Amino acid sequence: MKVNPVYKREITVNSRSIRLPLILMVFNGILALVALLNMYSMTAQVEMTAEIQYGSFLELYAFASGIEFVMILMVVPALTAGSISGERERQTLELLLSTQAGGGEIVAGKLMASMHSVILLLISSFPVMTLSFAYGGIHLEDLLFLFLHFLAVALLAASIGIFFSALCRKTTTATALSYGTITMLVGGTFGINQFIWSMANMGSSGYLIQVGGLGSQVNSGGFLYLLLLNPAVAFYQIIRSQTENQDNIASVIQWFGNRPSNLVLDNWILVSHVLWVAASALLLAAAVKRLSPRGRRWRGK
Amino acid sequence: MLKIEHLTKTYGRYQALNGLDLTIEDGALFGFVGPNGAGKTTTIKILAGLLMPDEGKVTINGIDALKDYRQLKGMVGYVPDSFGVYDNLKVWEYMEFFAACYGLDGLSARKRCMTLLEQAGLEDRTDSYVDGLSRGMQQRLCLARALIHDPDLVVMDEPSSGLDPRSRAEFKELVLELNEQGKTILISSHMLPELAQMCTDIGIIEQGRMVLKGSMKEIMERVDQSNPLLITVSGNQEQAMAILRSHVCVRTISIKNDCFSVGFTGDAQDEAQLLCLLVDAGVPVTRFYRRQGNLESLFMEITDHEADKEVLIYEGKPGV
Repeated sequence: MKVNPVYKREITVNSRSIRLPLILMVFNGILALVALLNMYSMTAQVEMTAEIQYGSFLELYAFASGIEFVMILMVVPALTAGSISGERERQTLELLLSTQAGGGEIVAGKLMASMHSVILLLISSFPVMTLSFAYGGIHLEDLLFLFLHFLAVALLAASIGIFFSALCRKTTTATALSYGTITMLVGGTFGINQFIWSMANMGSSGYLIQVGGLGSQVNSGGFLYLLLLNPAVAFYQIIRSQTENQDNIASVIQWFGNRPSNLVLDNWILVSHVLWVAASALLLAAAVKRLSPRGRRWRGK
Repeated sequence: MLKIEHLTKTYGRYQALNGLDLTIEDGALFGFVGPNGAGKTTTIKILAGLLMPDEGKVTINGIDALKDYRQLKGMVGYVPDSFGVYDNLKVWEYMEFFAACYGLDGLSARKRCMTLLEQAGLEDRTDSYVDGLSRGMQQRLCLARALIHDPDLVVMDEPSSGLDPRSRAEFKELVLELNEQGKTILISSHMLPELAQMCTDIGIIEQGRMVLKGSMKEIMERVDQSNPLLITVSGNQEQAMAILRSHVCVRTISIKNDCFSVGFTGDAQDEAQLLCLLVDAGVPVTRFYRRQGNLESLFMEITDHEADKEVLIYEGKPGV
């Protein structure tokens, strides 16, 4: 089977670099430290009160998952934002583009290499994440589903990083734009809904109610669907469904005002994931186009 | 082998190429010169499949190269002016990586890599890291890389820039060796004396269009012919002046001390005949020569003025 040459080279180079082992060590070090401290505090509480609250062990899982989710969002753009702009800075991009490899193969190789690193991170964090297995309440399927969600999040973050890396000349600009976009997805979509909902609640937002498609009920209207792009919302839904045994649909409906259920709200996590994959495909296609002779902007001499 | 027709490229308001026409014969070593900003790099990047022209046609071996970039890249090997390196990559891995980028793998690719590394004189550095090589070695490696897919045409954009004299000489030898093996090479450089020694053909580009092109031999002959004939006599100046005035090839005569500076349009035979006439007439000629021209002086002359130029094409056509 023919291996993507860019992916193969990235793996060879990464395996000789201290960067990936360092990321793995710091990532798992933080995760293990936080999880073990959390576990220690819970067992200390049990020793002091002689009362076992099994729910708190599920909190350990939620807490460790949350840390892992945040770290994936932090690490992936750092891995990908320099993938193409770094080639440009090293003056190797021209060499690469003058071959028959083509933009598609380059972008695919870069994506595969970053996903390879993410998979390594997830696998290496498995022992810490399985700490909650000692007390029960979480099944292997739950953990695997969570990892699948992390992979989808990583795909979105990696696509954002690669897109900006293809767009920008400098890695610092690409990194800043990637983190900015992810912050907008996580915080911005939430902020917009919060703002619209607050305005609707104040009863002084007639125009926004129209724009947002708000009906008779006071809620954030169509803006809620922006949260489909928010990885934190889907993550929250998954953790909530796994640890609190509640219907995840209800919680989304309750956010930013009540609303009747519909197909999207009923399948929030699935729709979110499909949307992320579609967004990733679009971003990667844009990156490929940017690397094509038509999409490129060179400075002539 | 390579035919460029009316190639045009603009960057915003700046016109980098303005209807460039160029033909390179099979097996030629073509020197592509011009001042900074003339459009050399843009042309080379179009040939390497890195840029798309606004207008024009590029034909390599009769195939319209701009219609299929993958095919174009398969026919052209590109050596850029800057040599980027990958950290933590060995020389043989570097070569195999680029071989894989052209769809070559397995034993045949490995053999091809080793052959090219031997040709570039890097056979004993295969296990060295690329970033640990000297600049000269890196440039030779870059040339070996450009040949990995056995291209018909090799384009080089100022490959000698930043090299020390020894590395430049080694690189030049390598380029000549490739040309002897039948590779068609287009090389852009500001090292004009070097180009004059190496190239079989030359083209001077300015403001995005070709202002002079032809074989190196023809061009240098024309350059020489445009220089005055210098004749020093130690007496009998009147007789010498009379002979010069009556000669059909003499266009202008100026005299300073004992030295005549003669605008002479004839060839070497005409020069010999003029010398015989002077000697036979009893003129004591002490020096009789034509100042040798060089590519640098020609380049300076051509790119010196801003006025509209006539396109000069020296392709075996007699007279100017």
